Amino acid sequence: MASHGLTYEGCNFFRQRLVLSTLSGKHVKIKNIRSRDDEPGLRDFEASFIRLLDKVTNGSRIEINQTGTVLFYQPGLLYGGSVEHECNPQRSIGYYLEALLMLAPFMKNPLKANLKGVTNDPIDPSVDMLKSTALPLMKKFGIDGESFDLKVVKRGMAPGGGGEVVFTCPVRKTIRPVQLTEPGKIKRIRGVAYSVRVSPQMGNRIVESARSVLNKFLPDIYIYTDHMKGANSGKSPGFGLTLVAETLNGCFLSAEMSSTPQGQGDPVLPEDLGRNCAKLLLEEVYRGGCVDSSNQSLALLLMTLGQQDVSKVLLGPLSPYTIEFLRHIRDFFQIMFKIEVQKPLEDERKGGDKVLMTCVGVGYSNISKTVK
Amino acid sequence: LEKQESDEEEDEEEEEEQGALRWKEGLQQRAAEAFLRQQEAAPNLRKLVYGSVVEAKEEEEEDEEELGGLFRVSRPQKSKKVQTNALDCSRFQPDAGRDWDGEEMLDSIRDCFVTGKWEEGQDAE
Repeated sequence: MASHGLTYEGCNFFRQRLVLSTLSGKHVKIKNIRSRDDEPGLRDFEASFIRLLDKVTNGSRIEINQTGTVLFYQPGLLYGGSVEHECNPQRSIGYYLEALLMLAPFMKNPLKANLKGVTNDPIDPSVDMLKSTALPLMKKFGIDGESFDLKVVKRGMAPGGGGEVVFTCPVRKTIRPVQLTEPGKIKRIRGVAYSVRVSPQMGNRIVESARSVLNKFLPDIYIYTDHMKGANSGKSPGFGLTLVAETLNGCFLSAEMSSTPQGQGDPVLPEDLGRNCAKLLLEEVYRGGCVDSSNQSLALLLMTLGQQDVSKVLLGPLSPYTIEFLRHIRDFFQIMFKIEVQKPLEDERKGGDKVLMTCVGVGYSNISKTVK
Repeated sequence: LEKQESDEEEDEEEEEEQGALRWKEGLQQRAAEAFLRQQEAAPNLRKLVYGSVVEAKEEEEEDEEELGGLFRVSRPQKSKKVQTNALDCSRFQPDAGRDWDGEEMLDSIRDCFVTGKWEEGQDAE
């Protein structure tokens, strides 16, 4: 592949750049990382992310200057296999997992990643959310099989962490192009109300209040309560809710909320959390599309790396993160999407504007996959 | 003198009347222009994504001011910094302007659910 590299500035969109660099084989240089900050340079969680990337690849070259404000990354071969990683608790496992989801199908050996750290925090998509939205999305692209799983072994809330998940993913030689243009109507809502190191009653209180909002739309709502105890409950107390709306065409929209980490701001009542989370789900439904707003970039990446055929996906409004991702895809793969805005009809009650994304895949093929 | 003043007032009134009528001129044309402007705004999403981005670089020279001719005060520009060194997070923050307690909002998504109205030719299996 082309050997010329790309240069960026700042620590934002850090994972996108390194992931796309790894997949495209182009080296990348990131300058001015928090260069004018009181504490300049890379943070611990970013260093932890680089270490994880180093574990799943073979022969990557990583150079960081003394102050940590400049990073040079030359990707190696995506090796995969069995990996264990202690994720820095500044960010939740979701932060690391989002990148692994993008890389896992393109490895030499099927990935089995054992990640330890914070499973749920208010910042990043939690492991529960990724399990219920990202995995079914990837299945639509032909990444499937018995070994495709994400299991929450132990739950660990922020800030202490102490949680553990196991992510296993098969490898694919090519990715199937998709046509996801019709989300279909929402047939049911499922959810998980989790609580650790607090009264198990918290879960029930969350469920009650979330149902009170959602029952105006659907009767088919089931929210599981998940109360983990003892060694499986991590180091910090907390609770939260993940809601997922499933449509007739098998699209998943989700929303979640987590309690404020211990010692960081005002505590929240489980009733408020449940109600607000339900409203977040309604907001997500209003945005709509076939893909959840936090998985937009994953869908776009798999479209880009698909076989040389047309892929179409209907999304809700593009998030700022996704817009930047589209620019990065252009930089690394020279692919530009056709972007069409679909305004809702006058008498339609299906939320806001949608965006139809169309592209022709680059015909990426996983050459490192072992032939059996 | 008084007469003059009243004359002027009358003039002003006349002008006002004319001004009041002037906004009615070319209403149709202006409506057409506004429509075209809106039409242009729609495909601009592509321009927004792929168009030339104003690089959010921190300008070294500008935020340095001399203090006593010897030291330089470095003031990071918050607004520009947000872009390049902001938190790397894929979450899409919800629009705070939407009130999900109101019936109006709830009605706007009613047909997204199986319990809503179905299009012709479609049916719950």
